[in-house]
Amino acid sequence: MTPFTKSDLPEKVILSGADCFHLVLDKHAKKHGAGGNVMRKVFYFSNALSFEKTAGILKSSPVIYWLCNIKLVHGSLLKKPCWKYTDAGREIILRRHESANENEIPGDILIRDITIESERFIEADLVYYPSGSCAFVLSWNHILLDAKGTTLLFEHLNLISENKPHNFDIFFPAKEKHTGVITYIRNMYKVKKFVQTSSRPPVYSIADAGTINNDDRTLNKTIPFTVDETAIISDHAVKAGSRFGPTLYFIACCAHVIQSLNRQKNKPGDLWLPVPYDGRLKGSAGPLISNCVSFLFYRLTKDELNNVPQTVKCLSEQMKAQIKDRIPQKYTMFLNMMRHVPLWLYYFLVSRTGKGVFASFLYTSTGDNFNDLKSLFGEPLSKLTMTPALTFPPGLTFVFLKHDQALDINIAYSPEIINHNELLLIEQKLKEILLNC
Amino acid sequence: MDTNIIISEIKKYIENNILAEAVQVNADTNLKQVGIDSFSTVEIILFIERRFGVSIPDEKLVPDNFKTIQALASTVVELMPDAS
Repeated sequence: MTPFTKSDLPEKVILSGADCFHLVLDKHAKKHGAGGNVMRKVFYFSNALSFEKTAGILKSSPVIYWLCNIKLVHGSLLKKPCWKYTDAGREIILRRHESANENEIPGDILIRDITIESERFIEADLVYYPSGSCAFVLSWNHILLDAKGTTLLFEHLNLISENKPHNFDIFFPAKEKHTGVITYIRNMYKVKKFVQTSSRPPVYSIADAGTINNDDRTLNKTIPFTVDETAIISDHAVKAGSRFGPTLYFIACCAHVIQSLNRQKNKPGDLWLPVPYDGRLKGSAGPLISNCVSFLFYRLTKDELNNVPQTVKCLSEQMKAQIKDRIPQKYTMFLNMMRHVPLWLYYFLVSRTGKGVFASFLYTSTGDNFNDLKSLFGEPLSKLTMTPALTFPPGLTFVFLKHDQALDINIAYSPEIINHNELLLIEQKLKEILLNC
Repeated sequence: MDTNIIISEIKKYIENNILAEAVQVNADTNLKQVGIDSFSTVEIILFIERRFGVSIPDEKLVPDNFKTIQALASTVVELMPDAS
């Protein structure tokens, strides 16, 4: 495996605006007694991976080494927050587990938190099953890597296992382009006004504003679809009017499911949700580290939720209008500017906007990022799943992941918010809409 | 308007506004394969509507028409008022 020189790693990496927004989410989670901001990817293999070989690959990664040897330096009015490389010599910890139940991930992996105070921001586990198969679990704090960064990380690990050289240029964010203060202020004003209008009360959230979580577990439910079912769903997406890929159709389906829960509770308010938007230039090989996402914001009234095609049309119009007005780019500028605001004030401003309601529910999709990932560490993959970080409130996140032409929906939820019967309703309703609508 | 001019303008827009510097495209490059996603497709359509004064109707919003710059340019030509 290609060695790397530790001194080549950057001493300081400035947090992006989206990274800082994760600091706000972290504060929000702590205030509501919720769990952490940890993402997990689980890779299943039919044949057991060698523990030593896997550990060797992970330890050969300069990015993983960097993630185990940094600490957060908070910002101030004149200084942006940054990651400081400490080179404390810490290597990633790979833990070995055995599970009698095929494909089950032990609970101690799923509840292990990685906070912004942790020594290491990334951890790994290997779970061996009696059949000879195994699962590799990688967990990290979302503040350092977004969905595209994760894809790049696994491509990087594959290159290491093939003894190919590291490309340091793609790992870390490039120096930011300077934008004039007047442009900044003008855009901030526009985007602030837009978000305030878009998220105006009343907004219905699956968790009420101010809810305190007394059970900080994050539970997950995966709904798998076969390749044939996935093809049917893609066809339904086009027929429902989702012409630029299935994303708007998926959001519409989730919105209808949430609306049916809302009908049971009979609470007032529109649905409002921010949906991540990858801000990297397309086809770029980096950066791997840092969140480069912005958001598109959708608001749906009760009258726009009569049927799925109508909802897709409404979402499509909102998306076009926001892309035309360059809202995601302006929101990125807004987030970048907010890095200079003290965290307590930043949190106050963000939570005040929606009167404590961050979103009705959360939606994210990996798009086609993992669809063609056939192997990891040179070994063929049998299955891939993802458990998202759970922002609380709302305490409910839908993740749509396509792998090997088959769709999986992972529902991450707080048991405080969604009970067993509601989870069954969500699953039944999602399947019904996706497969029959 | 000549198809080659339309191709050249769409290519220039995509290269300058959407793609990373290292990514090269030509009229026949599969845009999805170089990383153009659904949001970028909307950006391209909005540019086309603004620049060439056409409105792309729903029935033309099909994946085959966004596959390459050539396909996009052909759609524009079909929709232009002087198309016969």
